[in-house]
Formats: sequence, C-alpha cells, structure tokens
Amino acid sequence: MKQKIVEVGYGDVKKVKIGGELPLVFVGGPCAIESKEHAMMMADRIGEVCDKVGIEWIYKSCFDKDCRSAPTSFHGCGLDVGLDILSQVRDTYKIPVVSDFSDPAWASATGEVCDLVQVPAYLCRQTSILRAAAKTSRPILLKKGQFMSPWNMKNSVRKLEAHGCNDIILADRGTFLGYNMLVNDMTSFPIMAETGYPVCYDASHSIQLPTSMGNISGGQREFIPYLVRSAVANGINMLFMETHDNPDKALSDANTVVDIKYLENILYQAKVVHQTRLDLLKELGPDNIHPRN
Amino acid sequence: MNVKNIMLSKNDFPILNQNAIFKNALDSMGNSRLGIVCLIDEKSKLMGLITDGDVRRKLLSNQKPLSAIMVDYAIKHSIVNPVCCNENDSLESAVRLMGDKEVWDLPVLNETGELVGLLHLHNAVKVLLNI
Repeated sequence: MKQKIVEVGYGDVKKVKIGGELPLVFVGGPCAIESKEHAMMMADRIGEVCDKVGIEWIYKSCFDKDCRSAPTSFHGCGLDVGLDILSQVRDTYKIPVVSDFSDPAWASATGEVCDLVQVPAYLCRQTSILRAAAKTSRPILLKKGQFMSPWNMKNSVRKLEAHGCNDIILADRGTFLGYNMLVNDMTSFPIMAETGYPVCYDASHSIQLPTSMGNISGGQREFIPYLVRSAVANGINMLFMETHDNPDKALSDANTVVDIKYLENILYQAKVVHQTRLDLLKELGPDNIHPRN
Repeated sequence: MNVKNIMLSKNDFPILNQNAIFKNALDSMGNSRLGIVCLIDEKSKLMGLITDGDVRRKLLSNQKPLSAIMVDYAIKHSIVNPVCCNENDSLESAVRLMGDKEVWDLPVLNETGELVGLLHLHNAVKVLLNI
C-alpha cells in the first residue's frame, strides 16, 4: 500500500512533509510550555541542532497537562497563554508547532494556532476528542494509548476519517505490561502503517514508568538511544522526543525528557539509520516474507 | 428458465460496502442462513466475497490475534475474483457451473457488471426438480 504523505505547516512557516520514503522528521520541545522565554530559547537551541544534523522538525509543547499523577503537579500555563507563546514561536522561527488538547472545547483554538494537533494517548479512542480534532481541519498526530493494541488504532483512525480527517500520523508511546511498566512492541509500526498513514515513535514517553514513583512517573532515559535506533530501523517516518535544557528542573515529565546535550547524537544516529533503511529498500526492494494468513 | 427468474434479490442476501470490517462481515453472515457475504463498491460492483468455508480456512491458517483480524477490512480476507454468472444465463448452465466449481452460491451480475442477485443452489435444485 502506498503511504499517504502528510504535509504539516500553514501560512508562512516551513512546510514539513511526512511519510513514504521522505527523510525522517523530528518533533521536539519541552513537555509543557514553561514560559515564553524558555519556549523561545528551546526553539532556538533545538533549531540549531536540527540545522546541524540536517533534519526537518516541528516544535512541540503543551499548554495543559491533564494527565499528571498528582494534584500538586504543574498543570500547564493554560490555553490562552500557551497558544500565544506557541504562536510567537512559529512566527519567530517560521517552524510548524504541535500541541495536544484534552477537552473538546479546546480543539478549535488549538487548531487555529497549531500546524499539527495532537490527540493524547489516554484519550485516543474518545469519540468527542477525535471528532473535535477532525473538525480543526489540521493534520492530526494520533498517539496510541498505552492500553491499546496497534490494530485497534484502526478504529480511532476510522473515527477521524468519518469526521472528514484524512491527514493522520500514528504514534506509538509504549504499551502497558501489567502495572507501572511500559514495553515497546516494534511490530506496532508495520501494523499501524497498514492504515496507509505515516507512523511516529515517541521515544521519551516510551521509556516512562507510569506513576512508578508514587504520585509521579519515572523513566529509564538511558534506553532512549537503543529504542530510537530500533524504531527508525522499523520504518517510522517521524521521531518524537521531548527535549529540555535542564531535565531535572523540567516542570513536566522530568524523568523522561531528553537533555538537549544528547539531542545531536541521537538525531544523527536516527538520520543515518533511516537513510540506511531507505538505501536497503532501494537495493533489495520491500520485505516480502509472506504472512501465513 | 433464466437465472434472474429465481435468483435472490439484493434485499435477500448479505451485501456490505467494501469498507466493512471483518467483524461486520461475520455478523452479516450470521444474520442470514446463506453462509456468504458479498462486498461491493459505491456503484454496486462486486469487489469480493466471503463464504463460511473461507472463514473456516482463515481460522486454520491465521497466525494473528483474533482481535486483529476482526478489525481488518473484510475485503482483505475475501475472494476477490469469485465465480459469477449473468442474470440472463440459463438456470441449467448456471447450475452446471456451480457443479464444476463446487460452489453453493453464484453472485449474479447484469450486463454492466453490477451485482443484482445471488443464485443459491437449494433454490435452483427445487426449481429444476419441480419441488
């Protein structure tokens, strides 16, 4: 099946195309919008790294973190302030931006600013959320819920399609293995790609240990490079990785965000592995091991 | 006598759009007593067909989790070039074709290739034996 190419970016920002045999695209930024100054600084620094590596990218940061484990955890700067900051990031750096939304009432405003609208993993099968996402008319980054099989994501895709959305990117962020533990099933990428849409790997959330530290989530960041190499070799079109200049002080997901000092190394490896896979495809053709069924 | 005189009309056997999932196809087959479902496009062109036998063979060869097949498009697990007959074919030639191909049902097409009915062997035999 020929894979759909999804173009992200409206207005005068750089248009980023995802899918098929196009180069790998990166999505990165702090988990939560912390301040305008911090967002600008992160956009500037990540942009420098991406330019150096030669990879196109989309700035990611969220205005509301609705699935924090503790009532005292930072919940976000809020819809209006957050979207204003994201708007300034895209205006200043001319790059597309993405944010998620956790309430259908926030979808329209999110879509007015963001080039790509993200559906949170925990909400990936909620009809009201998917309908609201589709109505934004922006491309949708649909996270696979940790509780979902990759094939059941076809149902969520069909809900988006039923409401007129045909620009979708599916992302895997790990799958629950019992309690407080995620595993990464690399077969999820070819299975989700059966939908015909591009697929993405969320490396930072995949190494999360959900609520493993009482009222916050832990994570094993040291495994990120291993998993990134594996996911890229398995045919992803986009790599998602939350990035911070000082992870220990990050206001959200401090245990899983990647320190920006490692970003160049990881992105360079990802780019090389992605290109190697494309070269092998060109040389050998697609995998042709026929399934028994 | 021609096929169109005794074929089941489109309201009397399971027909689904080609975008139906496998689970819907099984439901549809279960709701009829015919053991067959036809998959069509928006112009009623026959795109595929699933029979009880196909489902049985699928269960024996399948290696996927059952929940993964259920959400697949039914067309993926269908016979995409089934044996068919024309509505103006004689009943005798159609029954002969069923015997040759060892099938119980023949989708019936009109001159433009549109699915217009289904010839079921039991009905055909009853007519041929004057029952």
